[in-house]
Amino acid sequence: MDPIAYFPGCSLKDSARPFELSALAVMEALGLPLIELPRWTCCGTVASLATDDLMHHVSSARNLVRTQETGGKELVALCSMCFNTLKQVAARVNGDVDARDKVNAFMDEEEDYEGGIDVLHLLELLRDRVGWDAVEERVNRPLFDVPVSAYYGCTLVRPKGVGIDGSDAPSVLGGLLEALGASVIATPFDTECCGSYQIVDRRDLAMDRALRIVVAAKTRGAEVIVTSCPLCQHNLEQAVGEFGEEALNGAAPAVVYFTELMAIAFGLEQVEVPARLQPVLDAHRLGATEGAT
Amino acid sequence: MSGTGDVRVDPYPAEMRASIERVEATRAGRLRDGPTAAMSAVERDELLKAFHPDYKEDKKRALAIGPSAGQLLPHEVAEVLEAYPLLEPEAVERLEPDIEVQVLVLGGGGAATVAALFAHEQGVPASEILIATKLRHGDCNTIMAQGGIQAADRPADSPPIHYLDVLGGGHYTNDAELARALVSDAPMIIDWHERLGILYDKVGGEYLEAHGGGTSRMRMHSAKDYTGMELMRVLRDEVRNLAIPVLEFATAVELLLDEEGQAAGAVLMNLETEEMTVVRAHATVLATGGFGRLHIQGYPTTNHYGATADGLVLAYRAGVPVIDMDSVQYHPTGVAYPAAILGQLATEKLRNQGAEPVNRDGNAFVYPLEPRDVEAAAIIRECYGRDGGVSTPSGVRGVWLDTPMIDEIHGKGTIKRRLAAMWMMWNRHGIDISVDPALVFPTLHYQNGGVEIDARGATAVPGLFAGGEVAGGVHGKNRLMGNSLLDCNVFGRRAGIAAAQWAQEHRPGKGTLSHVARYTASLESAGIPRARTAPMILPDYRREAVLARTLRGG
Amino acid sequence: MSDEPATTRIFIMGKAYDVPAGVTIMDAMEYAGYRFVRGAGCRSGFCGACGTVYRKEGDYRLEFALACQEMVEDGIHLTQLPFTPAPREDYVLEDLDPTENVLLQHYPELARCVACNTCTKACPQDLEVMDYIQAALRGDLARVVELSFDCIQCGLCAMRCPADIKHYHMAQMARRLYGVSASPAPGHLAERLQEMEAGRYEDELDALVAASTEELKARYAERDIEKSSEESA
Repeated sequence: MDPIAYFPGCSLKDSARPFELSALAVMEALGLPLIELPRWTCCGTVASLATDDLMHHVSSARNLVRTQETGGKELVALCSMCFNTLKQVAARVNGDVDARDKVNAFMDEEEDYEGGIDVLHLLELLRDRVGWDAVEERVNRPLFDVPVSAYYGCTLVRPKGVGIDGSDAPSVLGGLLEALGASVIATPFDTECCGSYQIVDRRDLAMDRALRIVVAAKTRGAEVIVTSCPLCQHNLEQAVGEFGEEALNGAAPAVVYFTELMAIAFGLEQVEVPARLQPVLDAHRLGATEGAT
Repeated sequence: MSGTGDVRVDPYPAEMRASIERVEATRAGRLRDGPTAAMSAVERDELLKAFHPDYKEDKKRALAIGPSAGQLLPHEVAEVLEAYPLLEPEAVERLEPDIEVQVLVLGGGGAATVAALFAHEQGVPASEILIATKLRHGDCNTIMAQGGIQAADRPADSPPIHYLDVLGGGHYTNDAELARALVSDAPMIIDWHERLGILYDKVGGEYLEAHGGGTSRMRMHSAKDYTGMELMRVLRDEVRNLAIPVLEFATAVELLLDEEGQAAGAVLMNLETEEMTVVRAHATVLATGGFGRLHIQGYPTTNHYGATADGLVLAYRAGVPVIDMDSVQYHPTGVAYPAAILGQLATEKLRNQGAEPVNRDGNAFVYPLEPRDVEAAAIIRECYGRDGGVSTPSGVRGVWLDTPMIDEIHGKGTIKRRLAAMWMMWNRHGIDISVDPALVFPTLHYQNGGVEIDARGATAVPGLFAGGEVAGGVHGKNRLMGNSLLDCNVFGRRAGIAAAQWAQEHRPGKGTLSHVARYTASLESAGIPRARTAPMILPDYRREAVLARTLRGG
Repeated sequence: MSDEPATTRIFIMGKAYDVPAGVTIMDAMEYAGYRFVRGAGCRSGFCGACGTVYRKEGDYRLEFALACQEMVEDGIHLTQLPFTPAPREDYVLEDLDPTENVLLQHYPELARCVACNTCTKACPQDLEVMDYIQAALRGDLARVVELSFDCIQCGLCAMRCPADIKHYHMAQMARRLYGVSASPAPGHLAERLQEMEAGRYEDELDALVAASTEELKARYAERDIEKSSEESA
């Protein structure tokens, strides 16, 4: 398959490095390498969607120009918030000629954006282009029914037309987890918001929401929760760290990026196993084994 | 900014383009054969006597008055030294000091900044130091130094080897102790710079060190071709972090001495309001830089706007002798085309990276890295003695610097990477020096001599210290590339430390301007015209046609 | 310059002046009768004193240049911006931790960047200013150094930034931090310093200082000159 331009986003170069490293490794293994978009700029998730002012979309739109410069027609993002922002802005400037003209007029130092770039989330790339069969084929260390909660968060599946799956009963993470050999745990909070940026100045609200998600997963037997967004990852980890075993009646589920789980299932030695996941793997005898790949 | 559309207009007129074609035709042969051989000592001497501007007897005269009466120096310098004060000594003397500090540093460039930093390191609190500069902190010659700073820090090199290079370049007229201090302090200065976070070019963890004109070892540390700017930015940043006060647009118009003849501070003038400020200081450091804006012999200059020898004037009035003022450094390669940027500096680094001077027929005519006075004289001879120069529409003549050789030798992209400032300077005028050669001719660049100092930076006036371009003796009659940035660090530091020590042990009496009154008397006795005043402060480039119609008559 | 015909009309702060063609804005202003106090420094493009803002007739775009380097064009309307109010954040270099995002800590307004690229358009050195701000947001010191190195601190970027960022002050701190944390001096520097402290070269230097001119000339003529190579190390 042709390589695809990939948008990291600010978190993936910093606090969410594991997300990026594991994703790059698994996509390489799947034969669909992700090529970092040159000179990408912040998706502007806060500025871009804050108001309807077109100026705030410039940062997002500039990445579409960068994608156009590579000659590609698609841009894939890992972080759900980046994906959501970029896709909404792309929808606006792809579909609305006036908006596109205005943004182009402002970015007069760039080539004009012609429209037609599609923004994808890695999960839909996996589902629709790679396919679960191919993913399953690449698994050489199946997860032997490790119970995993498929936590979507909100920006992956909302709003309609932007989300990669229905928000009522999404199945994309389920499909992935089954391909990896895990056992999928569904909870009523799978698509509930983790608290998002409220963690900054309304920590109580965010912790409230995050804890509910973690508890729901735990009480239904999940030992792992997968996320697709650095912010969800952060908030759930914060909830686990703050309330821990006390509120959860025992060990908390390990919160990891879906790509980290994929890397383990693929047996990719070069990807570091997150420390919190090791006990789960050991319990299911999936830890680092003597047989090298 | 550059970028004017699809039509590529040739930045060079037809005759110059024809000459470039001859340069291109000989390039392969010149790359293969290597540069022209260096001159012997005898050849160098003969060339200098015949063609170097310093040797034109009618362009200089002997000073009539003052501590260095009888010394020969250019007319333009004599005019400012033999000049009346701007202010009225008796009136200003009566003013009470507005500011009192332990150490006053006059100047806004490298030497001044280093002096202030080391005075502070020596224990003088920041609030007891004042840097007073004519323009902004950083409007100076240091910031434009491009090619590098010399320091013998590699095993294959040593300070004694550096010393020999310095003396040879200076025609053995250097003050031996000053030259020794220069080369001995160099490694320590580089180390200090590293700890300040200055970014010297490194490849694989090793310094990228190059030759300069007259060097026997590659010891030029560079920061692309922005070496002076990188040094100046960081040193200035550190002054700001330490909150050492800086008074900008506050030029010194006289030094103050007490009844014993000890330095007592200076009178500053606000350049914007013309208000005078009297600063009483226990020790004063003169770091006022060079004199390029005097346009000696009518040459254009590389120097900054305020380089008018003010410090020299003030110190001379206070009784400080000067040396080697008959020796002026003309940088061999000033811009000769386009006329809009005439005389601006084209760093020697272009030559140490491989560009050789070539005449209008495409022939090399000089070893590219002779010491500067020799190189400049050779270019002047080529243009005016041998008719090998290239003529430009403005009437200026020059020789080519075959800059495309640099990328040929070191790989495509070298100029843009290591000589970014040079590439940009010409590119703004449509000339890409990685593709076309550039035209150069000597330009007034550096004051080789200056006020006399000892190895501590002390002058003949107790409590008055000096360092950097304003001081003489270090370089003798000719300075090597990279030794000026070194000079202002080494002697800025020594002067700053000595000033701090002096300030901690001495307190001057009341500041007076009687030395100025005495100097005025000797000017009158010598019959110097009253209209001549100094310091110049800033050159005046307004046209006669405009000045003739101003209220004050210009 | 005084003899050239004045064929180019420029507007200095709104007033029309006829000046020669082929001269810089700075020279043209002096030709017109201005004598700079502010707005002129090194006159060579390194000090950032002469930041100039102008528009060409018939073009809505605002342009930025250095008066000492930019040539006049017929019909330009210009003014200088000789000062940018931008107090910098003080810091103690030894106390900065390169593993944290100290750039964001000292200049939190960096997060206000909306990637509008206005700073890049304002830069007379053609630097990719926005890109180094974006690199700073991610704590990528090396990239800030690479992209900001040629900055002359003219202040035009900071004057134009809608997010009120002080680009060049942040970059100065970043470069120094990189210098001390990621660009160590080669080992031979410390060795040479030890040698100096031990007085290794004192005798040699004593001899040189005492040597006669004839002796020095002879030794100078005998110097072996190190060969220039591709990369000198």
